[in-house]
Amino acid sequence: MTALAGPRGSRLHVEPSGDAPLVWIDIAITGGAALDPIGIEGLHRHAALLARRGAGLRNRAAFDDALDGLGAALEISVGRDSVVLSGLALTRNLDALVELAADVLAQPRFDQDEHERLLRETPQVLDEVRDDDSALATRWFDYRCAPGHPYGRTALGTESSLARITREDAAALWRAEAVCDNLVLGIAGDVDVARAMAIAARLTERLPATGAPPPLALIREPAPPGRRLVVVDKAERTQAQLRFGHLGPRWGDPDTAALLVVEAAFGGMFSSRLMQEIRVKRGWSYGAGCAIRRSRGPHWIEMWMATAIDVAGPATALTLDLYADLAAKGITAEELDFGRAYLVGAMPFHLATARQRMQLAVRDETFGLPVGFTAGLPGQLGTLSVEDVAGACRRNLRPDDVVTVAVTTAEVAAEALAAAGAGPITVVAHDAY
Amino acid sequence: MTTWTLDVEAPLGRQATVRRWRLGNGLRLLTSIDRGAPIVSYQTWFGVGSRHEQPGKTGMAHLFEHLMFNQTETLGPGEFDRVVERTGGESNAATWVDWTYYRLSLPARDLALGVRLEAERMTRLVLDPTTVEAERDVVTNERRERVEDDVDGWLDEQLMALAFEHHGYRWPTIGWMADIRGLALDEIRAFYRTWYAPNNACLVVVGDIDEPQLLELVAKAYGDIPPAVLPVIAPDTEPPQTHERVLRAPKPIATDRVLIGYKAPGQAHPDWPVLELVATLLAGSPSSRLHRLLVVEKELASSVDAQLTPFRDPSLFRLAITVARGHRAEASMAAIDQALAELASAPPSPAELNKAKSLVETDFWTSLTDADGKAEAIGHHEVALGDFRGVTALAAALAAVTAEDVMRVARTYLGRSTRSVVIAEPDPDGDPGEDSEESDDGDEALGDDSEVSA
Repeated sequence: MTALAGPRGSRLHVEPSGDAPLVWIDIAITGGAALDPIGIEGLHRHAALLARRGAGLRNRAAFDDALDGLGAALEISVGRDSVVLSGLALTRNLDALVELAADVLAQPRFDQDEHERLLRETPQVLDEVRDDDSALATRWFDYRCAPGHPYGRTALGTESSLARITREDAAALWRAEAVCDNLVLGIAGDVDVARAMAIAARLTERLPATGAPPPLALIREPAPPGRRLVVVDKAERTQAQLRFGHLGPRWGDPDTAALLVVEAAFGGMFSSRLMQEIRVKRGWSYGAGCAIRRSRGPHWIEMWMATAIDVAGPATALTLDLYADLAAKGITAEELDFGRAYLVGAMPFHLATARQRMQLAVRDETFGLPVGFTAGLPGQLGTLSVEDVAGACRRNLRPDDVVTVAVTTAEVAAEALAAAGAGPITVVAHDAY
Repeated sequence: MTTWTLDVEAPLGRQATVRRWRLGNGLRLLTSIDRGAPIVSYQTWFGVGSRHEQPGKTGMAHLFEHLMFNQTETLGPGEFDRVVERTGGESNAATWVDWTYYRLSLPARDLALGVRLEAERMTRLVLDPTTVEAERDVVTNERRERVEDDVDGWLDEQLMALAFEHHGYRWPTIGWMADIRGLALDEIRAFYRTWYAPNNACLVVVGDIDEPQLLELVAKAYGDIPPAVLPVIAPDTEPPQTHERVLRAPKPIATDRVLIGYKAPGQAHPDWPVLELVATLLAGSPSSRLHRLLVVEKELASSVDAQLTPFRDPSLFRLAITVARGHRAEASMAAIDQALAELASAPPSPAELNKAKSLVETDFWTSLTDADGKAEAIGHHEVALGDFRGVTALAAALAAVTAEDVMRVARTYLGRSTRSVVIAEPDPDGDPGEDSEESDDGDEALGDDSEVSA
């Protein structure tokens, strides 16, 4: 991996590989959905998708024809901390892809008809989320986990927030954030460093050098105290899609390495406690796991499973008990040794391809972390003791403040869930948010 | 049986070579060296999938995808996963209609461990009642998550049951719920003895390997395993479909969901690459015909997708549509009929054809960028279609498709009389319908709220 000062204040990561005649380009624009204005949730997504729907001299149809004619792709993903344009092209078509991407960055058209069409389309994406129980559980968990926290802000928006989005606001947001010193560029594949530098120069040459709004403040707001249970009522469910968690530390916190082992031991492997207790011993769910959400700022520690509806209550009670035990006692010496071995051995799989290495470097950079932070985490595990990990658990795990979200049929499951010790129950309609 | 024969050597992609070796007991080993990272993908493909099951015993092949991670004669319960995870590696498996495969992703230094584990569970699996019942519960939960409570899973299962009357593609790979619950231990053991044998297996090993060492390790671990007498499977035949079939059912969803399946040839047929290109022309990119027509111009749908199932026997060319708010399935289907008629009557322009070819070329290279992807492509073509060189041959066939080929296959395969259609409609009252309840009658394809017409 080559990390470079990119042109005009941008940052650039290059990972050459001659395995295939392909080149991947990631353009991360710092400032994602967490910075959507309150009440106008969905603005970053709207602006990014609209920018992709026509740029330079090409309207949407002409842009799609040009891009597809290359066999290339230029996709938008809107995260909490950044908007990423991900390009892919055959090497022979790379220059043409770069021209199109440069147009999206510097000269998006923001056509009025496409703005209106996108406003009609997005509520239908909301429908698709509501039709998908797992996605719906995550949407509600994000919303209710820590009310008011920027990461609880929906990237997709709501019917009411979408109604407040204007074309002018979207264009202004894009122009403010698509500036050189707000970009992290990643280029991987069939290129050398010199060509990558030339591509970066082409992508940035028409952009302002500076002027982006400040990034998300890295504050850890106090989490609401006490357990809470939200039952998202949906008809005809045979299962409960369950999410549990609370606000945790940021990725990059001094406790990150210790918590990485905790994540592995509690819910990051097949051998982990949750998988063994929920799936292997009881057959209650096909899968069960936990994760510390990787973000620029403090984010959730989250657990998940999908149980048969008749065991949703017992599964919830057991999960909360297991989590409380973890918070109080940490993990065993054997679990520490095992988790450490797993994490050290697993890192090469996360860095196996040029594209993976590039994407990890870009992500670390958008999180404000030093180059190689995540790839270097296994190297920090060797000195960890059981006491170190237990301390990290005590500082960061809050079993008494866990929020539980269950997407299920309330009339069947609510009573058992309410008796699971998950706190006061609120029942909401599945399409109320 | 411990002597290797080098059977075939052929290039794959830009820099890789694949070698196929055979052992005396019938075991095939396909190797490809990739030193891009110190890892190895070790896959074991068995020529048994859900099509090899019997009605009333469905879900058997998939159940093994779970059972194979449990106890063996030398590994205690849960030990398989623990020894793999201790290396930093991971294990997984997949079952489909024509095959089952088991994947170990391991650090290269642990290749010998992978060989030992896979050889062990090929013939020395312990199938006791406790293990089987625990995994049966897990599978029923998997089915609830992927089918009962997932409208896309439900559509997929119903379409295959509607489109096929006799062929083993008719039932879902995960199995009907009643069958999963009813599989008996002696039947499960018999299935294992029948199909899990070296002469029904193909090892695919891609990564940072020392090939002579690998050959020695595999010969030592597998060489003494005797071949099995594999059942002679009569060709599955399906009577020609002559009329459109339609199934409708209410579901707790926001808008209509439609899944259409046109009868299509098997993957080895010369028309299969042409249809693959047609799928790209219709719905493979933002400028594709159906996406532009249904989603952008008419706004009848919020998404449209086309997929040609890569099955050994004739299967389906599928179109999946999520209908837009304020519209019904019929409007999308009428627009699709019109688009397919145009495709059958007028050739695509050279630019449109070249666009589709560039898109599939990009997909081809993308699929070969990591060790697991390479191994999956090799394994599928070797086991489902008989020769791993099909990976490269398919890419060449796609590049050779002509505009006339496109018109011809559209006329041949994409007519209404050979299609089946499943439509999930918003349930106006949200009451549970019979279709979403579990049934013990052994055939759960249709519920009482469903309506079938032909």
